[in-house]
Amino acid sequence: MGETNNTNKKLTKKDITKSMWIYYAGAELSNSYERLQSLVFCASMTPILKKLYSTDEDLSKALKRHLVFFNTEGILGAIIQGIVISMEEQKANGEDVTDDAITGIKTGLMGPVAGMGDAIIWAAVMPIIFSIFLPFASDGMAIGGIAPLILYPLSTIIISYYLIHNGYKLGKKSIISLLNGGRMKSIIFTANIIGLTMMGALSASYVTLTTPLALTFSGGSTIALQEEVLDVIAPGLLPLAAIFIIYAYLRKKGPRYTRILLTIVAVSVITAVLGIF
Amino acid sequence: MSVLGIAIFMGFYYWFCRLRFGYTFSSALLQPVTIAVFVGLITGEMATSMKIGAGLQLVYMGVTSTPGGNVPSDPALAGCIAIPLGVAAGMNAETAIALAVPFGVLGVFVDQLRRSTNAIWVHMADRCAEKADTNGILRAAFLYPAIAGFIIRFPIVFIIDYFGVNAAQKLIEILPEWLSHSFEVMGGILPALGFAITLTVIGKKSLIPFFIIGFFAVLYLNLGTMAVAIFAVCFALLLNLFKLKEEEA
Repeated sequence: MGETNNTNKKLTKKDITKSMWIYYAGAELSNSYERLQSLVFCASMTPILKKLYSTDEDLSKALKRHLVFFNTEGILGAIIQGIVISMEEQKANGEDVTDDAITGIKTGLMGPVAGMGDAIIWAAVMPIIFSIFLPFASDGMAIGGIAPLILYPLSTIIISYYLIHNGYKLGKKSIISLLNGGRMKSIIFTANIIGLTMMGALSASYVTLTTPLALTFSGGSTIALQEEVLDVIAPGLLPLAAIFIIYAYLRKKGPRYTRILLTIVAVSVITAVLGIF
Repeated sequence: MSVLGIAIFMGFYYWFCRLRFGYTFSSALLQPVTIAVFVGLITGEMATSMKIGAGLQLVYMGVTSTPGGNVPSDPALAGCIAIPLGVAAGMNAETAIALAVPFGVLGVFVDQLRRSTNAIWVHMADRCAEKADTNGILRAAFLYPAIAGFIIRFPIVFIIDYFGVNAAQKLIEILPEWLSHSFEVMGGILPALGFAITLTVIGKKSLIPFFIIGFFAVLYLNLGTMAVAIFAVCFALLLNLFKLKEEEA
């Protein structure tokens, strides 16, 4: 009995979808500093492993195998699940798949998949969906919040569903061709362009900064700095400057968000009191 | 709903959205514009609530997209406190944003506390794996973190939303001109942080002209966000086509 058991164990589409839902539900829920997503990855494998391994001994070994350190982006991470599920199935059916091979695939893929997931899901899909509906919220309409609450989870769950089933079908070959192929790069490229253009459009509407300062000349004539100088050159120069000053600081000093936040608060109060802005 | 009812609801809401049940579902729930929908429903002040939510959303737009899930600032705590208090006191979006910022920072520490206590459940799961107890592993991954999260998160929002209403209303009454003008300036600049963060996350310096195109498409051509989105998609697809041709050549 045990792993050499030759009875054919086959997983159904339903088992795999169930695994996807567990991972989707808990990818961040049990996230800890110690092993990040290891717990939820193991939990998501429970319906699979219970079906594949009949003895407590084998099941326990398989569960422990999936409690090792794991962390990736939770939507594209579904493809890793799909591949690992197919490997577990082969292993349970007596094929020569070592523990190291399974752990190796997981740790090898989690970095690149996380990078792609952050670039596509978090830096593009999410801000694009929220920003399209933001003007409705600014006008006081509930649809500005309801639409993204439905569309963002829905679109990303569809991506997860597609990836876990394809990862399972194509096995570990799929991800290698996916990572090396130009297709992924062009998806990221497309998403980035759309995201950046949208961000630019939103900045123009929502970052507001004008100055009431005026230059008084000796002859007694005055020139309003905002209307007669800045706006003549180009509209929105002060907001654009504010964005790129912060951007330059972030690039140089790294993500010191709290410090920047507090600096903005201080600068706002001082310049407002002095009458600069 | 009464002040007590609103405080209880918001306490539960903060717990549930920060529980992170459902990877992208929960991250949509914890955005200020989404919180604003629920605050609007329970207070009956949908328009005011959404306007404050939209203002907050801009500040935190880029924050959520930071890689690795290390929240540098918590839009959920900021929203669950500033939106109901802002609505109760009749604040404008700028003042509510100023109120929200310190709570957004406080939220970071709350999240660190959660991720530290979560380590306990991993060790519990280790023991369950030893016994091949799959239900035990599911409990360690879902049930226990949920209970611990409730103890950590519910009281903060409940106490501030319940006892803070009078303070928020007083604040608005005594707010001097210079301070409210400061808030206006702050509310105008803060969204710049969100956009700057998104710029760094997307990362490629060579693509910044697209940001500039979007920016001036609104200011010179008066295009709406939907129009910009349509043109951006076409731009991106066409550029892909050219790039592909280049690589083939």
